[in-house]
Amino acid sequence: MLAWNQKSFLIVDDFSDFRSSVRSMLRELGVKEVDTADNGEQAIKACSQKRYDFILHDFNLGDGKKNGQQVLEDLMTDRLISHESVFVMVTAENGQAMVMSALEWEPDAYLTKPFNRASLAQRLEKIVQRKTLLKPILQALDRGKPAEVLAACVNLTRQDPRFAPLCLRYKADALRDLDQHEPLEAFLKSILADRPQPWAFAALGKLLFKRGRNAEAQAVYEEAIRAFNAMPVLFDGLADVLIASGDNRRAQKMLEEAVRLSPYAVRRQRLLGKLALDNQDFDGASKAYRQAVSQGQFSRFKDPETNLGLAQALISRGGERGLDAHTRVEINQTLGDVAKEHTNDAGLQVRTRLMKATSVASSDPEMAAKLTEQAMARLEGMEQFLSADAALAVAVQLKQLGHESAGAGILKSCAEIYGDDPAVMQNIAKQTDDPQILGAGKAAIDLNMQGIRSYRAGKLGEAQDLFRQALALQPKNISIALNMAQSLLHLGVQNLDAASLTECQNSLKMVGKMPETDPRYDRYQKLRIRAFGQ
Amino acid sequence: MTDQDPGLDFSMVIASTVHDMKNSLASLIQAHGEWVKRLPEAHRGTTGQGVIDYEFAHLNGMLVQLLGLYKLGVNQLPLRPDYHELDDFIEAQLAFHQEVLNSRGIAARYEVEDFGLPVFFDRELIGSVVSNVVINAIRYARQEVLISAGQVGEQLVISINDDGPGFPEHMIEHQTDYVLGINQSSGSTGLGLYFAANIARQHQRQGVKGHIEIGNGGALGGGVFRMYLP
Repeated sequence: MLAWNQKSFLIVDDFSDFRSSVRSMLRELGVKEVDTADNGEQAIKACSQKRYDFILHDFNLGDGKKNGQQVLEDLMTDRLISHESVFVMVTAENGQAMVMSALEWEPDAYLTKPFNRASLAQRLEKIVQRKTLLKPILQALDRGKPAEVLAACVNLTRQDPRFAPLCLRYKADALRDLDQHEPLEAFLKSILADRPQPWAFAALGKLLFKRGRNAEAQAVYEEAIRAFNAMPVLFDGLADVLIASGDNRRAQKMLEEAVRLSPYAVRRQRLLGKLALDNQDFDGASKAYRQAVSQGQFSRFKDPETNLGLAQALISRGGERGLDAHTRVEINQTLGDVAKEHTNDAGLQVRTRLMKATSVASSDPEMAAKLTEQAMARLEGMEQFLSADAALAVAVQLKQLGHESAGAGILKSCAEIYGDDPAVMQNIAKQTDDPQILGAGKAAIDLNMQGIRSYRAGKLGEAQDLFRQALALQPKNISIALNMAQSLLHLGVQNLDAASLTECQNSLKMVGKMPETDPRYDRYQKLRIRAFGQ
Repeated sequence: MTDQDPGLDFSMVIASTVHDMKNSLASLIQAHGEWVKRLPEAHRGTTGQGVIDYEFAHLNGMLVQLLGLYKLGVNQLPLRPDYHELDDFIEAQLAFHQEVLNSRGIAARYEVEDFGLPVFFDRELIGSVVSNVVINAIRYARQEVLISAGQVGEQLVISINDDGPGFPEHMIEHQTDYVLGINQSSGSTGLGLYFAANIARQHQRQGVKGHIEIGNGGALGGGVFRMYLP
């Protein structure tokens, strides 16, 4: 029997009747310490102030509010609960919350309403038994040490082979965190050969995709969906692979399927909006972005790009016909929120103004001209780089608003910053034939490629020379600047003379203006820390 | 464009209504439980109380099943098999029905063979099937219900036995019809068999699918329901 009187509980539910009913069940069991919360924010706050042994969390806390899954994600990501704590998801319907689960963070148990005291006590005691058994694994997880998790799994399985099934996921996650790709692949395949589970399919698909084996990843996801046709994460995974192989239409279909099964997912809706926009399905894009904006309001995944996407989708949907009053209000609202919340982000200020100008271009040309002027003035003094997608959108709008040369300027700097990415250059080519823009970077890109080859061959001095020449031609190119810095830092910062160190720091300073969303931002950060020593 | 009015998608209407009904029922059961606790001891264990507890459980089971059937119909039944400890699973089932068992004076117990391994199934889905079968067994049982679980060949068998009069002959004889959904006229029991068989079939291992059967006799001499999972 559990020592109930020493355990602390948090009950989270929006119905006070339910809270008091569970509280009285717990009291009858002898529990002394019970706190309650009626929404996710309160629950998170409570967990940041106190460590609870048990959290009983209702899944659905009302429309537009954080649901139990989101709260669990927040608690785990921000490390507000220990792996040893017990999190029970209370649901109104069997299986409802499971479908929503991201498979990444799962509660210890699901409990379906209504339940009685006997059921509650039985579930909790069993979970505690299991967690006591798994204690070494859970403590290693709290310490964030995957190697220790792995060792604990081995120990436990040796102690009693019956525990092996309980260790499968911990072991797979640890292998993933340790980047042990081959052992992980073999392990997941052995699980799937015997007892297929959705998480194992998803993990294998992700691994193969990460390693660039897209065709195999696609086959894994397709097989997984045949076996488990109601798991949204499998559709998400397949969509990722399809996007990478350029099949955006089928990717959109997959995400639509996932959204049908589980509509409350900000990131999924946002990606669906973007795909639909790329696929010229403006109706679908508007719907998905609208969902993403409204669901994102209370979510950690709130993102101004979603609002801009919604505005773009609505404008495109209007097309030649122009926009009705209702749509203009919606655009105004969604852009207004971004402008208000990001007053210090020059890029977003420019983009919201241009987007708004585009939306009123035919109904209120004067206003459009005024907004465009403001945007261009801001653009003038802006140091931050726009992301490639943002730059391309801004260029289109400037052109539409009658400022073709300003648009061309944006394309030119986009080509300089991102010119080594063929996909970006292709998109630039859709907007201009100007050889000055399309061809300007070619020499630098070639030098960069040669530099990479020399670097790989171990010819460090030669590589540095090539990168240096390339960077002189295109000083804002992110890849070249990072390569320059990396090649200089190759032998360790302590071995650099003063001039080289300055050169290294300068190339990093220039590209420090890249957007934080750039996939190379992490690499930049690591180099920056080495070069600047902080 | 067609000039036909698409009208309501009736199965969708039913599903969302059932969802709300289930929520209502959950509140009702909870409130009733609180209320009973405040009654003087002498008024608690009445026959009326037994009926209320039983019908609450029965209603809830039917609603869960109806939602399950809807999801099955639109191909959205989420299957999430995992490893579970059998004794934990069965204990949870009995705990869930504790009030009903108490108020009807039925002794429920379970027997689990030690497998040496946690077993692999979808806890929520198999749970909703077993729960409904237990409610049915309670309805007909005189004094006893027994859940037993063991291994036959490579398969897990969960059986629910009662000491009641057993299933009617024609039902046993035509069980395949119910299972296949051919005979849907027998109300909730027939639908229950259809649902149970479907859930069992979703559990597959290397080409072998799960199945169910009903019969009479068994460990307690009454009805027995068996579910085989590979």
